[in-house]
Amino acid sequence: MPLKKQLASLWRIRVSFLLLFLAFVGSMLFVYHNHSFYEDAIVEIVETSLEDRTEVTDGYDNQDIIFTQHLLGELRNGDYKGESIYIVHEYTASGVYHPEFSVGDELFVVIDQPLAGEMLTGGILDVKRDQDLLFLAWVFIFVLLIVGKRQGFLAVISLFVNAVIISYALDVYIHTSNIRLLLMMGIAVILMTILSLLLISGFHERTYAAIVATLLGTFLLLLIAVFVLWLTEEQGLRYEEMAFLTRPPQTVFVAGLLVGSLGAVMDVAVTISSSLFGLYEKNHSISNKDLKSSGMEIGKDIMGTMTNILFFAYVSGTIPSLLLYFMNDAPLGFALSMNLSLELTRALAGGIGIVLTIPIGLYTTIFFVNRKRVKV
Amino acid sequence: MNALVLLTLILFVSMTIIGGKKGVRSFVALFINFIVLIITVLIMTDPSANPILLTIIACILISCTTLFFINEVNHKTKTAFVSTILTTVLLLFFIAFITERTMIQGFADEEIEGLTTFSFYLGVDFVKIAASVIIMSTIGAVADEAISISSPMFEIYRHNPHLSQKELFLSGIRIGKDLLGSSANTLFFAFFGGYLALLIRFKDLNYSFGQIMNAKVFRAEMVTILCAGIGVALIIPITAFITSYVLVKFEVGKEQ
Repeated sequence: MPLKKQLASLWRIRVSFLLLFLAFVGSMLFVYHNHSFYEDAIVEIVETSLEDRTEVTDGYDNQDIIFTQHLLGELRNGDYKGESIYIVHEYTASGVYHPEFSVGDELFVVIDQPLAGEMLTGGILDVKRDQDLLFLAWVFIFVLLIVGKRQGFLAVISLFVNAVIISYALDVYIHTSNIRLLLMMGIAVILMTILSLLLISGFHERTYAAIVATLLGTFLLLLIAVFVLWLTEEQGLRYEEMAFLTRPPQTVFVAGLLVGSLGAVMDVAVTISSSLFGLYEKNHSISNKDLKSSGMEIGKDIMGTMTNILFFAYVSGTIPSLLLYFMNDAPLGFALSMNLSLELTRALAGGIGIVLTIPIGLYTTIFFVNRKRVKV
Repeated sequence: MNALVLLTLILFVSMTIIGGKKGVRSFVALFINFIVLIITVLIMTDPSANPILLTIIACILISCTTLFFINEVNHKTKTAFVSTILTTVLLLFFIAFITERTMIQGFADEEIEGLTTFSFYLGVDFVKIAASVIIMSTIGAVADEAISISSPMFEIYRHNPHLSQKELFLSGIRIGKDLLGSSANTLFFAFFGGYLALLIRFKDLNYSFGQIMNAKVFRAEMVTILCAGIGVALIIPITAFITSYVLVKFEVGKEQ
């Protein structure tokens, strides 16, 4: 019988991989032929020629080269489908704003008012790159499945589900007047914590302990962050980098801080609770004191690397704009505070959340262990 | 009082109380890594410096601090270090290829709005900078996973010195698989939190699904998230292989 079972599961794996492969091929075919689904006109470049090359030096002695490229393209959708279009494109060697285009690239364009008897002209809006994005998404899914098998699958699902929850919560927030963003995100955080932790470690006592610890840790961190911002009247925070927002940046920032630290806090909570439950499973008579000291040791071990993870996840994204400020001769202090103040605040607040979740996770787990002891 | 200063103080105090000496070391490590990052960016302003090479050097320094300074120099941290650097270099080539293909380098319209007074003729290769941003944002998670896999593998070998390299490798994979979900989540949520403002903008301005998918700034975020996910998965077999190889080949686990 076990052989039969094994064969059955082998078949299940084969069938699911086949389905996955079909989904991969199907979706790739789709994005390569989805032009008619876009409202903006899409042009495929068939010919490029380099018309001009100018070396420039800006006011800060940075040297770059401006290229002017003439592009001949064919429209792939819309009223002018199949017609040729002529586009002038400018880019720099550094590629800081526009990239160089080559034959085969597809671009979203606005078509200029057509003149009778003349070739269409237009301006570039953006590049069509959904094919590469989808391809990368599949690489991600396959790598996680191959390395992580079931856990990899759950990680992909968890990413997807959490993205949907956040997106839905934002929809509700935007389409409902008089609703607080923080409230919506708070509800989303509770949902995401429960779902993600159940996905990561299943229906066990240790998971429930981790859920409680995560929620306590996250909301304590939020409380501290809000209190500090209120006490210091947000001195040192520069919201300029959120200038593109059509809403007050403060609330968006605090909501982002809450969501951003959630993953790290969950990680700490689940590490502490599963290792303490592991100790209890091995030795049912282990004392609370021993559990506490082991938990603290584990906490000390993970504290440094966990705060580092958050720090780099946040701060690395500012490298391009830091470069921009530095190369425009902005004073060091000004460049740092303009670009880093929000990211550092997030990283610091997240770090505080990580550290505080260690004792919180410890006591919550001990509470759950003791509850189990009484039952047994 | 400055909000950042107060938060730094709170973090320092709580790390010291809860983590003791190791907590203080962890705090100092954060500070060192911050300095390394800023100095790296300062050197990047020189167009003749290769950003990819600079990133690799920065990653070496950062993993040294994270692994050797917070913990200590021993066989566990050394194997974790080698695994981290190997994964980083492998990933870097893949990411450089992807950033080139997806054209996410430099700035998008949304980011440029407030920066009109700046000169953008910088002469630095921003494709490479984009790759370096992605790798730097995952280096913390990759190093963390490396040590979390190699350290228990040493323990397993110490208790069962007769295990073959293959058995050790498989147990390393098992440990890694259990970590995968929470490591991936840590990064995903950090990025979600950072991108919340952009998502709100997209929704406020009623971007269509297709427009969002092809917007440069969204593309850049997705590429970062997906590459980070690939990174935290790839470190697992690499660390498991290197640790099992070192353990069996050099029998380093036995002397401890």
